[in-house]
Amino acid sequence: MTSRNQTPAPAEAGLGSQLQKPVDRRLFLRYTGLTAAAAGLFLAGCDDDENNNTTTVSLGSGDVGVLNYAYALEQLEAAFYAQVIANPSFATAFTSADERAALTAIAKHEAIHRDFFKAAITAAAPTQIIGGLTPNFSTVNFASRDSVLQTAKTFEDLGVAAYNGAGQLIQNPTYLTIAGKIVSVEARHAAYIRDLLSNGSFADSTTVDANGLDKAMTVAQVLSAAQPFITERVNGDNVGK
Amino acid sequence: MNLFQIISEIEKVDPEFTDRLTHRRSALSLLGDLGKKMALAAAPVAIGSAFNKVVAQNNLSTVNDVLNYALLLERLEYSFYNQALSAATLSANLTGAARTAVETIRAHELAHVNLLTAALGSAAAPAPANGFNFGTAFATYASFLTFAQAFEDTGVRAYKGQATKIPRTLNPTVGGNTVNLLTVALQIHSVEARHAAHIRYMRRGATAGGQTTIMPWIINSDANGAPAAVYGAGNPAADFPAEGNLVQAGVTLTTGLGTTYTADEVSAAFDEPLDNTTVTAIARSAATF
Repeated sequence: MTSRNQTPAPAEAGLGSQLQKPVDRRLFLRYTGLTAAAAGLFLAGCDDDENNNTTTVSLGSGDVGVLNYAYALEQLEAAFYAQVIANPSFATAFTSADERAALTAIAKHEAIHRDFFKAAITAAAPTQIIGGLTPNFSTVNFASRDSVLQTAKTFEDLGVAAYNGAGQLIQNPTYLTIAGKIVSVEARHAAYIRDLLSNGSFADSTTVDANGLDKAMTVAQVLSAAQPFITERVNGDNVGK
Repeated sequence: MNLFQIISEIEKVDPEFTDRLTHRRSALSLLGDLGKKMALAAAPVAIGSAFNKVVAQNNLSTVNDVLNYALLLERLEYSFYNQALSAATLSANLTGAARTAVETIRAHELAHVNLLTAALGSAAAPAPANGFNFGTAFATYASFLTFAQAFEDTGVRAYKGQATKIPRTLNPTVGGNTVNLLTVALQIHSVEARHAAHIRYMRRGATAGGQTTIMPWIINSDANGAPAAVYGAGNPAADFPAEGNLVQAGVTLTTGLGTTYTADEVSAAFDEPLDNTTVTAIARSAATF
């Protein structure tokens, strides 16, 4: 558990350190009035990832919260694909040069999205940008084509559903248009990855409903799905509010 | 792509359009033996910049106007795939996985038509009385896919161009359910992008046109044989840049992010919106309705 937190954090981690408040378990227990004996039972109900070193990252509120939310998800995607294409097994897991070229392109797109949000939030709200998150890809077998593609599918479909659900939270029309410019690229990625797994599944019934609509998920739903891949605890309770 | 038809359509909303083109026509006449038609057809750059001079732009004034615009585009797409699936000229190649994919896409377009019709209720515009005529689009499998790519990529740009026209707090009842209209538009938008990605990759096949290097995303403003206007700038270009746009929120992303990225990478990482006037002109250049 602690080994996760020893993963080198991205260089920009210091930027948001003021916003990453370690959860002080003793203080938490004092407030909740639990005795040490009762605490064991109470904590058994907490998430498995809870530990003394877990920090919480708050995405903030309003439009900045939405931008930080997007930045968090893009960080996750960018880190994932960077690891995919840097893995020594990349060429053996993906024997097709076409597929390697496409995954390398996707890695660049996601890195651009990440860097763009970092620049945009730094310009708009320099004191409110979150820092670099520490990804946890311990469940991914980067030497396995199927494991990589299944994870990629999860991230791309999740990204599409996240942007679709967040649109109505955005107050500034410029940000809404930018979200629109990115989400369709994520959908293109999702379709491609799905077709690599099973040709023709680009928009199958697991993601498009009977009304011909793609998924739209709330912030809470998206963060719940993304949390296992992020070491820090991400709090999006006030995004868009 | 019928450029004269596009110009004719633009003249309906911008009577001075031909005048604006005049100096270009003078320039074109200097090309000598080439007929004006051929010269224009070979001059996508001139036409692209001529488009930028058009005054009418993103001018749908009500949410119902936006929905009826979307409905027209969805009806066009549905009709396009429906006709393709029964075209004798395509029966040899539109088979197997390709046919299944097109049937999937057709089903989505029909669902979009039905959903938008339900959302509009009595405000729904009637379908074009004489349907949609796609001319020679179905002559070959490669031609069909080129048109399909144009329609899907245009559709993605069209929805994106209307996102800010839909109030984010609008929650009508559609089919007995309360829905957020902006969310629904975004949910359709990303499905169109999935279609576009699949159609683009279908074009890689030998009988499908042999576009062996085409990607599911749009690199620069490359049209890959589709009309250049599909990937060009709209009006005003500052709000509706060409797909090759490298600047977002004032930042030039190739050089302004600390890491250097190529134009191919940056342009593909962001899709661009398009105004309804340009979208409609593109649609009327590809179909008669």
